[in-house]
Amino acid sequence: MNLRCFFIKLWAYAGIFLVSSVIIFLFSYVFINGSSVINHDFIFKPPSGIVLGSEGGIFPAIAGSMAFTLTAVTVGAPPAVMIAIYLAFFCKSNKIRSLTHLLIQCSAGIPSIVLGLFSYSLFVRDLNFGRCILSSGIALGIMILPFIEVRAEKAFSELDYDMIRSAYALGCTKTHVIMTIILPACRAELFSGIILGGCYAMGATAPMIFTGAVAYAGNPQSLLKPAMALPMHLYLLVAQGHTSLNMAYGTAFVMMAVILMSNILVTLYARRIRVSLKH
Amino acid sequence: MRKIFNNIFYIFLCVFTLITIISLIFVILFITKEALPTFKEVSLMEFLFGRKWMPVEGISDNPGFGIFNFIAATIYVSILAMFIAVSIGLGAAIYLSCIASERLRTVMYPFIDLLAGIPSVVYGFVGLNVLVKIFLKAGVHTGNCVLAAAIVLSVMLLPYLVSSSSDTLLKNKELYLSAGNALGVEKWYTIASVILPASLKNILTAMILAIGRAMGETMAVMMVMGNANLFPHILGKGESIASVIALEMGTAVSGSTHFHALYASGLVLVVILLLINILIGMLRRKLVR
Repeated sequence: MNLRCFFIKLWAYAGIFLVSSVIIFLFSYVFINGSSVINHDFIFKPPSGIVLGSEGGIFPAIAGSMAFTLTAVTVGAPPAVMIAIYLAFFCKSNKIRSLTHLLIQCSAGIPSIVLGLFSYSLFVRDLNFGRCILSSGIALGIMILPFIEVRAEKAFSELDYDMIRSAYALGCTKTHVIMTIILPACRAELFSGIILGGCYAMGATAPMIFTGAVAYAGNPQSLLKPAMALPMHLYLLVAQGHTSLNMAYGTAFVMMAVILMSNILVTLYARRIRVSLKH
Repeated sequence: MRKIFNNIFYIFLCVFTLITIISLIFVILFITKEALPTFKEVSLMEFLFGRKWMPVEGISDNPGFGIFNFIAATIYVSILAMFIAVSIGLGAAIYLSCIASERLRTVMYPFIDLLAGIPSVVYGFVGLNVLVKIFLKAGVHTGNCVLAAAIVLSVMLLPYLVSSSSDTLLKNKELYLSAGNALGVEKWYTIASVILPASLKNILTAMILAIGRAMGETMAVMMVMGNANLFPHILGKGESIASVIALEMGTAVSGSTHFHALYASGLVLVVILLLINILIGMLRRKLVR
């Protein structure tokens, strides 16, 4: 065996070993350190203590994160799926398609902090919404739009075209085909795109630092009020230093658990659909 | 009736797509509009290449708005992170595409994708508690440094690099491996001398894309890199453009030059990323030919 082959083989094994151990390390580090503070009170009580967050729980942050994520998905997912449908099935001009692709790529490249700037000056300042869930939600929605669009369009382009052509041959309109064949056939991919997009929005801090996330608020009541959010809470706890370290681990634990569960859910759902499509 | 429904759906779709596209363009235009007043105070060259960042009027007599150090730190940390990520990720991609079985691959892909889902604050948090402490013990002052940030960033880049380079390698393996086998060439020799070089161009675009992703990252970098306006050195502190915006936006007076200068820094970041995207587009077009 020549030396170059040996090195490449070694590289391959070393690479996969390092990647796997980093993943396992990250999750176990957060889970082991965080598990000591996780209990009923931590999940369901608001934060308290002389240094805020050093005692009590994180319930308003969990509820707030849900509100931010739902707003973001409501803002971002429908246009993403529609653009994908338009590009995959209706757009006839190649120029328009490649221009739209360029635009989607560029907006995927806009850093989330810049989206935060945009939302801050347009919604918070100019339109006078103030810091609120809606202002952040829109920034987060714009952030996840390209994420979902790319996945949806990929799913549409990987469809089995025989079935669609047969449906057209039977005289079905495009709309009918999309509603009854294409969307159901792609439901696993669309579902995973939207759920993972939601996770992405949940974990993003930069767009909401100055548009809607605050250090302390009650449970979110209205879209036009600010709220707490898990990633922002974690950031502030870290900034407070050593007193709140345990609580920070707990907050990270909750976020990692949500991420892990959604990923498992998405993978299992996709596998079930694949099995059911085969039969 | 169905025809009418079809047409309504079509029009609805077009209008919706158009609105989305217009609003995406609007985002970029809006940032530009907010950024432009900066250049009434500071010339473009001074802004891009100046090293003095004293944005708050009143504290110092002559405020300075030079973001050269921030730009340098952003590019430096991103490229460093990309190289670390490639040196690990490409190995993993070779394993996934050439050694792993089909079954193992279907398990490993979602497993590695977990990395993409982890929020960036958590990366920053773990980086701060693990890496920075290690660097502190190793003798780096306060432990915050560019290298630590690059390592944290490289882990964040791994899933993109691994999945895209593994896809390319897999495609090329299907193209060439059986031909190599038929010629009696040993498998690893084919991989080393045919499959890897053939995939190199696509891997290169993935690398450039990874730099772009790294440059926009805010929280993880901000928590680990130390945030000091210095020219980046590998074990020194630095501050990325995104961190400047995140740290100072809350205190900038609306309408002041400081405020606009932060938008202008954001615009600089967007422009660099646009250039990267265009570069990749051109590379891809060349590769197709």
